[in-house]
Amino acid sequence: MTKRFIKNATWAADGSQIDILLEGSSNMSDGLGGSMPVSGSISPTGQNAPPADAEIIDATNQFILPALVDMHAKVSQPGKSSSLAIKLASEAARQGGIGSMLVMPTKSHSFDNHADLDSFRDAVKEQSCIHMCPAGHISIGGKGEQQAPYDTLAARGVRILSDAEHSPSNLLMLQRAMRYIAELGLCMAIRGDVAALSHMGSMHHSETSYKLGLHGIPACAEEIGIETLIRLAKDTKAKLHIQTVSTAEGVRILQRAGDSVSAEVALHHLIFSHEDIADYDTSFKTQPPLRDKSDREALLAAIKEGSIDCIVSDHTPCAPFAKKQDFHTAPQGMLGLDTFLPAIYSKLIKTDKLSWAEVIRACSSRPAEILYGHEAHDFIRPLILFNPNVSRSIEASDLPSRCLNSPFLGAELLGEVSFL
Amino acid sequence: MKPIKDLLTIGALSDADILSILDNAIAMKEIFTKSVKKVPVLKGKSVLTLFYEPSTRTRSSFEVAADRLSADITTFSVSTSSVVKGESVQDTIDTLMSMKMDYIIVRHKNSGIPGIIAKHSKAAVINAGDGSHAHPSQAFLDAFTIREKFGEVAGKRIIIIGDILHSRVARSTSLILKRLGAEVAYMGPGPLVPPTAHTGITRFTNWEQAFAWQPDVLYMLRVQNERMDAPFFPAGDYHKAFGVTTERLERIAGENLVIMHPGPVNRGVELCDEAMDYSNSLINTQVENGIAARMSILYHLSPQTKNHD
Repeated sequence: MTKRFIKNATWAADGSQIDILLEGSSNMSDGLGGSMPVSGSISPTGQNAPPADAEIIDATNQFILPALVDMHAKVSQPGKSSSLAIKLASEAARQGGIGSMLVMPTKSHSFDNHADLDSFRDAVKEQSCIHMCPAGHISIGGKGEQQAPYDTLAARGVRILSDAEHSPSNLLMLQRAMRYIAELGLCMAIRGDVAALSHMGSMHHSETSYKLGLHGIPACAEEIGIETLIRLAKDTKAKLHIQTVSTAEGVRILQRAGDSVSAEVALHHLIFSHEDIADYDTSFKTQPPLRDKSDREALLAAIKEGSIDCIVSDHTPCAPFAKKQDFHTAPQGMLGLDTFLPAIYSKLIKTDKLSWAEVIRACSSRPAEILYGHEAHDFIRPLILFNPNVSRSIEASDLPSRCLNSPFLGAELLGEVSFL
Repeated sequence: MKPIKDLLTIGALSDADILSILDNAIAMKEIFTKSVKKVPVLKGKSVLTLFYEPSTRTRSSFEVAADRLSADITTFSVSTSSVVKGESVQDTIDTLMSMKMDYIIVRHKNSGIPGIIAKHSKAAVINAGDGSHAHPSQAFLDAFTIREKFGEVAGKRIIIIGDILHSRVARSTSLILKRLGAEVAYMGPGPLVPPTAHTGITRFTNWEQAFAWQPDVLYMLRVQNERMDAPFFPAGDYHKAFGVTTERLERIAGENLVIMHPGPVNRGVELCDEAMDYSNSLINTQVENGIAARMSILYHLSPQTKNHD
């Protein structure tokens, strides 16, 4: 068994100086796409001498924290096989500091039947270097018409149901689905959206949409959706998780709902706003769209006070040719995994918008609780070392996803992740 | 003045560019009002018109302008049925590059397409209208027409009336007029006039407010049913509520207000029949000035096509 002694590291959660003695290596697979539990002990710096047979790693000015847990990622890539897409996404996630993630169903990963779930799990076992669990479909094929076989999905370990970017518009179907899954103890993850109000638009209704001559998506399309979902969940006693909240009013609705629902925000909604679309940069076309700066401030405050539980990547790889089309035609979505923790550090921690403790809660502890319950295992959250002293100008070769729809291409980001 | 390759938006131009194009348009208009209508300014240069959207006026106006500057004109026929999505635009760009054109004049229903073509092309790209985004040559002919009528644009009040939300003409023309010192207001049905917070332009929703503002020019926009996915206002009420009716025309004539329209006019919708013959209507002058403005635009741009690769 290899022994490693990491000295002079900073425990990110409270800033204390620590040494860590680790036995085992996270590079050993647990056969489930995760890594073997690493056992170890943490002590204040200098308290224990390193064992003679341990490799000593000097981590002065580096941070140690639990690996991040991402509740919202898509891994399928048009034109790539499912197993290659899984491999690339897991490498991207690992580079971003993520050790475990919830994979949204898509056309190529249709999690509405046991066969597709099994083949996904097999591919994850073979290809993934992180832990991935699938979110089952709410409706067959995500079409919003007919309920998916929830008992079958639950028997295969599915705990979260989602139709990914589609918020079911058939409220009767949804109400009955919620009533059913409430009995099974499953949770629905849905984003607020009234498609009739939003489907024509390609960006936030704003001065930028006027300037660029693009159809706007009003904030109320999302807010009415959130309100409706919360009301239905209350009526059916179903567990509900609101996905990718993007507006200030959305936050106020969540505050009124209290602890009965959990919620997430996509990292890009904490960093960017509609102005960043500038001259039709399709990398910034997302769903929900990048909103106003005032929304961004409200979302940051909501993470601080806990009315939004998690920060997610909302990772959506898009084929490079697809994003080269005009803004209206190009698909929605941004890469999030590849640069996740470096972006959080450079844009939120370094700029004093969030503390390490808040980031660890929103990107690791809370999502682990929601996804796995309180018994979140060590293999889901191994420790990672974050070196903030590495600065890198992000180029295409720095994106393991092998797509180009990253908002950080050409930008300078701080930090490098290694799994312990 | 730094040479510029493309004309994509008014916002991308310097004040010097705007004034130079407007000044030269005067000279261009003199050229074609003489008996010999042609000058050899663009002799040997190739101009391509690439219209993904139907257009009669703008396309023929550009073609006449290019012809009067002695350029060779090619019309690239894009059947709207064969062009389904943007992928084909990428393919078309590659084709265009192989043709070694000097000027590409493009219109497309999606905002931003001319910019994509310009980025990948050494030819000078002129945006002849993209989605609801921009129509800069229309802006120039409008500014030129107002300048010709009043002597100068600064200090004039222009109210643009109709479907502002979908209008690239409103966006571009308001920009150039404001740059030249005019005051601009918008008027139209509530859902079709974006909030002032987004546009930076005063917003009216009825004629009383419009008249009270004491405008010099009433700029009527075409009601573009083709751009509306769902009804924005009660059908049938438009002319009564926002058009120039026979009664309103009396007041307009009494106050000696100028009427403009980018064409083609929906008779009985934006304008009543009598308004078409109104003595202070500049609609036909706009068409004539469109050729002069477009000649001046072609003359002003610098294609980077000397070393085509």
